Amino acid sequence: MALTLLRGGMRTPISFGSNTSLFFTVLRPRLARFTARAESAQATEPKAVPKSIQLATKEAAEQKTQGFEAVIGIETHVQLSTVTKAFCSCPYSYGSQPNSTICPTCMGHPGTLPVLNEKVVECAVKLGLALNCEIAMTSKFDRKQYFYPDLPKGYQISQFDIPIAKKGYVDLDLPVEFGGGHRKFGITRVHMEEDAGKLLHESGSYSQVDLNRAGVPLLEIVSEPDMRTGIEAAEYGAELQRIVRYLGVSNGNMQEGSLRCDVNVSVRPVGQSEFGTKVEIKNMNSFSEINRAIDHEITRQILLHKEGQADQIVQETRLWDESSQKTFTMRKKEGLADYRYFPEPDLPEVVLTTDYIDEISKSMPELPEAKRRRYENMGLSMQDVLFLANDDNVAHFFDSTLEHGADAKMAANWIMSDIAAYLKNEKLSIDETKLTPLELSELIASIKNGTISGKIGKEILTELLAKGGTVKGMIEEKDLVQITDPSAIEAMVDKVIADNPKQLEQYRAGKTKLQGFFAGQVMKASKGKANPVLLNKILGEKLNGN
Amino acid sequence: MLSAAAAASASAIPRLRFATQPRLRRPSARSHWLRPLSSSSHVTPAAATGAGALEPPDLPRLANAARISLSPQEAEEFEPKIRQVVDWFGQLQAVDLQSIEPSLRAGTGTGSSLREDKPETFANRDAIVEAIPSYDDPYIKVPRVLNKE
Repeated sequence: MALTLLRGGMRTPISFGSNTSLFFTVLRPRLARFTARAESAQATEPKAVPKSIQLATKEAAEQKTQGFEAVIGIETHVQLSTVTKAFCSCPYSYGSQPNSTICPTCMGHPGTLPVLNEKVVECAVKLGLALNCEIAMTSKFDRKQYFYPDLPKGYQISQFDIPIAKKGYVDLDLPVEFGGGHRKFGITRVHMEEDAGKLLHESGSYSQVDLNRAGVPLLEIVSEPDMRTGIEAAEYGAELQRIVRYLGVSNGNMQEGSLRCDVNVSVRPVGQSEFGTKVEIKNMNSFSEINRAIDHEITRQILLHKEGQADQIVQETRLWDESSQKTFTMRKKEGLADYRYFPEPDLPEVVLTTDYIDEISKSMPELPEAKRRRYENMGLSMQDVLFLANDDNVAHFFDSTLEHGADAKMAANWIMSDIAAYLKNEKLSIDETKLTPLELSELIASIKNGTISGKIGKEILTELLAKGGTVKGMIEEKDLVQITDPSAIEAMVDKVIADNPKQLEQYRAGKTKLQGFFAGQVMKASKGKANPVLLNKILGEKLNGN
Repeated sequence: MLSAAAAASASAIPRLRFATQPRLRRPSARSHWLRPLSSSSHVTPAAATGAGALEPPDLPRLANAARISLSPQEAEEFEPKIRQVVDWFGQLQAVDLQSIEPSLRAGTGTGSSLREDKPETFANRDAIVEAIPSYDDPYIKVPRVLNKE
């Protein structure tokens, strides 16, 4: 099943067909739990997961790992969204004609020299700071040697013993439907390096190389082995994605391979301090796949332990196969690979100044963790908090709405229900709609002060999303102002009662449920504009009074 | 995907200049490295002769790592030559550097060592493509590389 050999942490998405875009668009129907999370949050009424289900899930998980504990560490490669490559001025954009963005430097021609892109350093420092790392004032590049056709120079320019950032951590909140909880995972290091080209194996007799990606800047983020379950690992990956997107250093797109996670999993009896033999898993295209691949691997290893076959667990790289939901051996590791690292003689050391780092710190946006804590302090539920902070466009929209004076809980409800549903149906991001934060705040205010009813509000919102315009204009244009004049409502109530003598008789004979019928008729007569509280009050009096 | 905030802030970051090289505590120390090692007072006699601290070269392994095929006879021929090179490093390792501030890299002069993130398309792509030994438009053709190692 393994169709390619992935080398030295340079992840190459595996291509099965002649058409790369085909490979990336093959989407099997899958139970993407992370998509499910967003979807469930989009339900009109955010619903709390019944506690019994949570407990049952947790107990099931504990039963499975009975007496054993998994230890998980992750290496993540993030492709930077710079205009040019790391060491030459070739432009890079995903999906370009193969072998079109190449030059003698990234092709590894003799006599060429690399020159570092300043944006790469900036991105590395930003991410290092975002991950609470120590930033190295002086770091250097090294050559990692290996032979593979996607690597024209025969070595990858990387950072070996002195990475630009190290010793950090990341804070995150687990999704409510997985039991919730706050976690802190250590970051060992962040270093700069270059990507390799892309290999295709469509023909039986030879392989094809596209070197557009060769030399594109990457940041490799190595975690401490702090995770214990698939969901923790998946959430760690999702948090890194949020962070790089908030920072604007990468699009974090897993399908395009802009964010790739290599996961190391080992299992040990609870209480044992040494780690078990670790197995590396590659080829996961989404966070829900990471979750499932890890849980599958943990189960496989525990089973081997229980059967007394722990020696069958060997240090190797396994590939996750999405269609069969299993991991398969890709290659066994014969000891440590011999990369013969040595300092890159063609590049000077990277020297930072405190001024430079200070300026970058000052320019940092509010990060997901800070945003979540701020939203939490507003009194929003964790489900709301996680949904809003998940996408920085949504968070930005929400914050702007609040700046216009909107109530936080109401703004959150509108965004998570009607707006999220619209975005999902139309496949748009929030900043692609015609709705502005100002108009959402106007809408909320108009409902709050009684100008329009909530029902009318929903109708207006749909129009605002699709066509734009202002709440005020729409209320005037369509004559949607809520009827709050008691005499006007009374007149409508009288008419409805007079038109339905049969129902009135039944009501007075004890079938009081019919009040709903009357209320509906009056509302219909008012074209939805009657204030529902007043309506019910007057209707009740009339039905019981006369 | 650049958020508005990130885009706006990007321009505020100053260009990173190449800082001055960390100064050696004893600038003159560098000149010692250029002296013939045999006469250097910084080389302890034991270390000078003791390149044996380094492992002798394993020719078959080196050849394999460099993807070079050597016959046993060739390996035997090269062994003393490679050993000689390794011995030179042994001599370098013996230099007493205790009083010298370590430098990560050799200096490369002054001025910015960084490049602006501005694209420049290489004009002579045809020449690159022509230099590719086996080209199957638009891909470079290579021997089939699959799980064979």
